[in-house]
Amino acid sequence: MISIRVNGKQHEVDAEADTPLLWVLRDELNLTGTKFGCGIGLCGACTVLLDGAPMRTCVLTAAAAAGKSITTIEGLSKDRSHPVQQAWIAESVPQCGYCQSGMILTAVALLEKTPHPSDADIDAAMTNICRCGTYNRIRKAIHRAARA
Amino acid sequence: MIDDPHQLSQAVSRRHFLRLAAVTGGGLALAVSLPSLAAPAEGAAPTPGTPPAPGVAPAGRSIRPPSAFLQIAENDEITVITPAVEMGQGGHTAMPMIILEELGGDWRRVTVKDAAAAAVYNNPLSGTQMTVGSFSVRGWYMDLRKVGAAAREMLVQAAALEWQVPTTECSAAQSVITHRPSGRTVSYGRVAARAATLDVPQQPVLKETASFALIGASPARLDVPAKVDGGACYGIDTVLPGMLYGAVKTCPSFGGKLKSFDAAAAAGVRGYHSTVALPDGVITLADKYWQARKALDKVTVDYDPGPLAALDSARVSALLRAGFDEPGVVARQDGDARAALAGAARVIEAVYEVPYLAHACMEPMNCTARVDAQGGEVWCSTQAPQAAQKAAAAVLNCPPERVTVHSTYLGGGFGRRGEADFVTQAVAAARAASRPVKLIWSREEDIQHDFYRPAAAIRFRAGLDAQGKLTALESNMVTASAPNFGPRPGAPLYTVGVVDTNYALPNFLVTGVNKDIGIRFGFWRSVSHSHNPFMLESFIDEVAHGVGQDPYRFRRALLQHPRGARQLKVLDLVAEKAGWERPPPGRHLGISAFEAYGSFIGTVVELSAVNKAITVHRVVTAVDCGVAVHPDNITAQLEGGMVYGLTAALRGEITIDKGAVMQSNFNNYPMLKLAEMPRFECHVVPSAQAPGGIGEPGTAPIAPALANAIFAATGTRARTLPLSKLDFTYAAVRTS
Ligand code: FES
Ligand code: FES
Repeated sequence: MISIRVNGKQHEVDAEADTPLLWVLRDELNLTGTKFGCGIGLCGACTVLLDGAPMRTCVLTAAAAAGKSITTIEGLSKDRSHPVQQAWIAESVPQCGYCQSGMILTAVALLEKTPHPSDADIDAAMTNICRCGTYNRIRKAIHRAARA
Repeated sequence: MIDDPHQLSQAVSRRHFLRLAAVTGGGLALAVSLPSLAAPAEGAAPTPGTPPAPGVAPAGRSIRPPSAFLQIAENDEITVITPAVEMGQGGHTAMPMIILEELGGDWRRVTVKDAAAAAVYNNPLSGTQMTVGSFSVRGWYMDLRKVGAAAREMLVQAAALEWQVPTTECSAAQSVITHRPSGRTVSYGRVAARAATLDVPQQPVLKETASFALIGASPARLDVPAKVDGGACYGIDTVLPGMLYGAVKTCPSFGGKLKSFDAAAAAGVRGYHSTVALPDGVITLADKYWQARKALDKVTVDYDPGPLAALDSARVSALLRAGFDEPGVVARQDGDARAALAGAARVIEAVYEVPYLAHACMEPMNCTARVDAQGGEVWCSTQAPQAAQKAAAAVLNCPPERVTVHSTYLGGGFGRRGEADFVTQAVAAARAASRPVKLIWSREEDIQHDFYRPAAAIRFRAGLDAQGKLTALESNMVTASAPNFGPRPGAPLYTVGVVDTNYALPNFLVTGVNKDIGIRFGFWRSVSHSHNPFMLESFIDEVAHGVGQDPYRFRRALLQHPRGARQLKVLDLVAEKAGWERPPPGRHLGISAFEAYGSFIGTVVELSAVNKAITVHRVVTAVDCGVAVHPDNITAQLEGGMVYGLTAALRGEITIDKGAVMQSNFNNYPMLKLAEMPRFECHVVPSAQAPGGIGEPGTAPIAPALANAIFAATGTRARTLPLSKLDFTYAAVRTS
């Protein structure tokens, strides 16, 4: 049994200790907003917040996340009211949308640490892959969220 | 609602169908969607990989049944059943916009549903139910307008009947019908049930383009909210009660076969269920996906590596280049290019070549399948529901109608999801296990078992007269896409982007040789435009420089004829917006422009270079795509397409060794990231012409514009891609 805290709720999960947090979130807790993209920590589609820091969950075992506070895209707000979600909607960022949970959570963490990020800050923080090429809109949306 | 569409008679007439729908639908009105009943459009259902023949619209077709596309509930909720799936290209917004424009419906009350697999959803232009080829808007534009207009006329007529007034005294907008003399109003939902009993007008009156309210505006995309809160459901998110998870590995070399496997060690993995043999590999099944992955690692497999075990990329390249002098097919012959070349004052010759490319959709291939005694159901991200249906039916040995396809959002498509190999695998596993199965590919399997953009090469010869005027062009093209994508009228598909150039070439010869090399190939965003404009637009540039002319003016001179007019306008616009005549000090510009998918596009790249270190400062694109249905989405598609094309131009390469793909994940098949994005400007030419495609054209112009700018800056002509192989490094800056 692994005990993890996700979106403010404690869960006891019956999974092997080496199971990546990604698959525990998706397959045990049915939190499918966290996506599988590469499985080796390169794309960021599986990003969640671990005690507020962006973490790629395909390479983080669920056991290693025990005792930490996990926020997934589903836990960001109840009604898409988080300023980053609002900015994403205003800039019409997503195309296929598959990368966007990870992008949004990475941006949330950036803005938490750096409320008014420069372009260079954004460059450094936003290393996730978007195959649809929404990057310039992501940048605009982060600046918009910073102004909100 | 009718629960089992399987049981409905195919013989029910379209009119009968509408009436039936109104009755069984109760409060739901203007009919329910019963796709299996819908009248098949002309042309057979597609076989996977068969390309639509561009520009061939089936003749003599009457209006599509509105009920297949539109439901209006008593509470005024409008449901649009969209024949185009949503993979980020905006289909789930553009399709309803076109219907709602003519319907006069309230945009705020629209929800969207994906169409089931059925011939009524075959694209009028391509004849297939595939969301490919930038066909959605340009194919459906007229038919969906008619659907919306017919429905509006039926609703108005229903209201007029109720009020006992002439329809001419009634008008409709925002889902409300008004009787003008009396000022009475009624909402669409209140008369929809009655409207559904009326005959469908076969020639509904369409709006004037100038009076459009939705088309040309950019309403918020309907799929965006679900994509910022984790709610959007992709194929990979499907959950069925009692399902197993599947992980798959197949023979690394193409054409290889499974000889034997040993799953004994997998039995020790918790949750392990079974191992299913495929013709070319194995699927492990387990209670959870991670367990299936762990079990897969423990299964040892013995493959017959197949006939390609000695193939490598050098051999592919040699095979392509050996084809230049093979006879091939003549795809176009104007005048006598060879005689003109023989008599030319000067001949310029060059060879261009590009490698295989993978699609790398963000969502790895996957499919969830459930099988029963009669047939089955599949849930998947697919660009081709009927191909998925056929693939499943082939495994189950049942008629296609016995398979229900549930389309979901696609985490990227780019042509890869026009195939159904992952459906075949999932259905085979579900049948073997007698349990529902969700099969998820690893990224490695995805990169190594794609249907690749084929490697291709062209040898060009240009003949010039003493004044430096281009008098002849010969293009010998060799590609690795045999057997061809399918029969197609006119020139082979792989020549499109050269064979249909708008440049005035009095003596023009295009030959094509298509090699069956054995590596799987398929449609890759922009298809032949992913390589041909790179080659032709680079070569035209090369010729212009060769005769000491400005590349922009050299192109202008080749477009001074009626068929070149729209391209010329776009060329002029992009040159003007990019400041072609006066680049900033230290900056160099490269240009490209051509027609693709019924649209005209031009791009200028502005860069600086220190030796082979390239810094891109700006990318400017202009497009004439006819009526701009959703301008904001057009900009997004052109930008996204640019990123897709730029990634390929800079770094994209699938290489082959021992008949297998050497790349495996984003470490060795790298993607551009946010920090590498150049400034992008997009200019849309106002136009009332029929809409052109927009999902693909944007992918094509960046490679030639970039290569041409690199030549301007460095004097080095990049005739092969990716540029990383030529030791160019890349960075972008956003400050001007
Ligand atoms: S899936 Fe975790 S980084 Fe790609
Ligand atoms: S929106 Fe498709 S991968 Fe980012």
